[in-house]
Amino acid sequence: MSLLGADYRRDMGVHSYPVLVYALTPLAALVLQAWLPRLVLGYTWFDLPLVVTVYFALARRNPIQGTLMGAGMGLFEDALTHHAIGVNGIAKTVAGFLAGSVGVRIDVENHTIRTMVTFLLSLLSSVIYFSIYRVLLGLNLEWSWLAELMKAVVNALIAMVLFPLLDRTRVRD
Amino acid sequence: MESFFVRYRNLLVLLAILLAQIIGLAMQVRRTDSGRNSLDPQDAPGVRLLRLWADTVVMPPEKAFHATRLGAVSLWQNYIDLRHIHEQNQDLQKTIDRLRLEQASLLEDAKQGERLQALMDFQQKYIYKTQAAQAIGTSGSDSSRVFYIDKGADYKLERDMAVITPDGIVGKVRDVFPHSAQVLAINDQTSGAGVILETTRIRGILRGNAVGRPQIVGILKDDRIQPGEKVLTAGGDLIFPRGLPVGMVEKVVPDPDRDSFVDVIVTPAAHLNRLDEVLVITSTEPRFPAEQQQDMATSEMLKGAQAAAIAEASREQKKASEVMAERLPGLTDPNAPAQTPAVGTAPGNAQPGQSATPAAAAPPPVPKLLHPQHPDRFTVGTGSPQSGQTSAPAGQEKKPTPKTGLKPESKPESKSGQKANPQPAHAGGNTQP
Repeated sequence: MSLLGADYRRDMGVHSYPVLVYALTPLAALVLQAWLPRLVLGYTWFDLPLVVTVYFALARRNPIQGTLMGAGMGLFEDALTHHAIGVNGIAKTVAGFLAGSVGVRIDVENHTIRTMVTFLLSLLSSVIYFSIYRVLLGLNLEWSWLAELMKAVVNALIAMVLFPLLDRTRVRD
Repeated sequence: MESFFVRYRNLLVLLAILLAQIIGLAMQVRRTDSGRNSLDPQDAPGVRLLRLWADTVVMPPEKAFHATRLGAVSLWQNYIDLRHIHEQNQDLQKTIDRLRLEQASLLEDAKQGERLQALMDFQQKYIYKTQAAQAIGTSGSDSSRVFYIDKGADYKLERDMAVITPDGIVGKVRDVFPHSAQVLAINDQTSGAGVILETTRIRGILRGNAVGRPQIVGILKDDRIQPGEKVLTAGGDLIFPRGLPVGMVEKVVPDPDRDSFVDVIVTPAAHLNRLDEVLVITSTEPRFPAEQQQDMATSEMLKGAQAAAIAEASREQKKASEVMAERLPGLTDPNAPAQTPAVGTAPGNAQPGQSATPAAAAPPPVPKLLHPQHPDRFTVGTGSPQSGQTSAPAGQEKKPTPKTGLKPESKPESKSGQKANPQPAHAGGNTQP
């Protein structure tokens, strides 16, 4: 699937992927996010939908695509919880937008930078989630910053492993 | 104008999506009477539709993953030729689980019996109709401790049904989909279960904290609460049956918001992070197996026979007490004639042979009060002749008559005014002919 011309993509460093990768990777992230905690003693110190959102937003270098993907993934995650639908949606919308915006300005081929971006956006997503819950909605929600920090670290580690694997699925021009 | 939209296209899209989600959020939150915000316990139709879509998309792959995992595990176990042992082990495990549930209920009943309540609550057993289900997925978020089971409306599951394991309670059904259901675990921050500490009988509400540990909140400081004490369901929340194990007190920490209160951290009895099979209590009507019903019928029969025996013994005891009352020296004269003369027969004419009159034909014996050794004016039976009382017997010293005109040492009478005995009483209290 190529939305842009080959010359433009080559100039801008925009990567494209097969349709199946676009469709199955987010779905797999959502399903695994819901299923894996059962295998790892209930620990949810990872956020696969966020990692996938950041990856595609960085690779596509398109803030709108990052925004839409983040919103979709976040709303889907919210729908699986018993909380209000939209909290994760807003957090991941902002994360996808920022990743798409940053992708224009940084070298998205550098693994270290991508890992750092994932770490920072994971923390930012947690801050936004907490702020929406406590400030915007005025609901009581206890929070463990240590857990959120651990989640950001684990997300960065997952990104280190997952991003090179997804890079292999790129469409070669 | 066109250049504005083109230039700020990214930001405008972002703002539009954020605005739409914020509006959606605002529609899901309501303000309670106490002035605090809360989420609607019942999802709006639109929200429920979104959840249903998400469930429809995620559940089939999750079920496939789960089935694949189970198949792989099963294949491995069968491959090493442990099939029969494994099946036997599973049967035994089920039996143990069932017995543990029954033991928990019986233990609680026994304790209640110590408090003199077990007899009345005998039929409130914790043997309820349950539906086994497999835990197949989670919410994927540590701020939402919910998980999904593979049974839903197709198995007649309903909202607010209790979910347990043989080890202890797990949570309650929060939402039901056609082929799955969402269960809110007891370690979620928004859950609430009525619990009671086993020995101190302190009640509280169990809910999760930020790191997913169940804790009992809103308890006044109490030094009696010690780590290791068992926590049971109190049964007051109309969701969890009474007496089911919840966990064990791990530690007591001060409530950060209120000085005089403490939070009791509880180690859950059920392995909330390793849930495979759970039981959903679909009916709280007692369901006894055939053998137990037969035992109960036998017990009822024996109880009836025992009650009849107790009633018979009570009647015998009553009869004995009546006999004893007749023989009490303070009420009847042991030296009085054995038989009261028949009606119309003068006492002097009574023949010895007439004493053999059947007791049923004779009128009931009239109790006769004995003469006191030193009577005074307050002695029962003293009175003036005008009141129909007889004079003092001859040979006894006559005391001054008080203003009331009552004569001391007058002969006692029965309550009916009849002379109980025409013979005078002596100092010994015995009457003589």
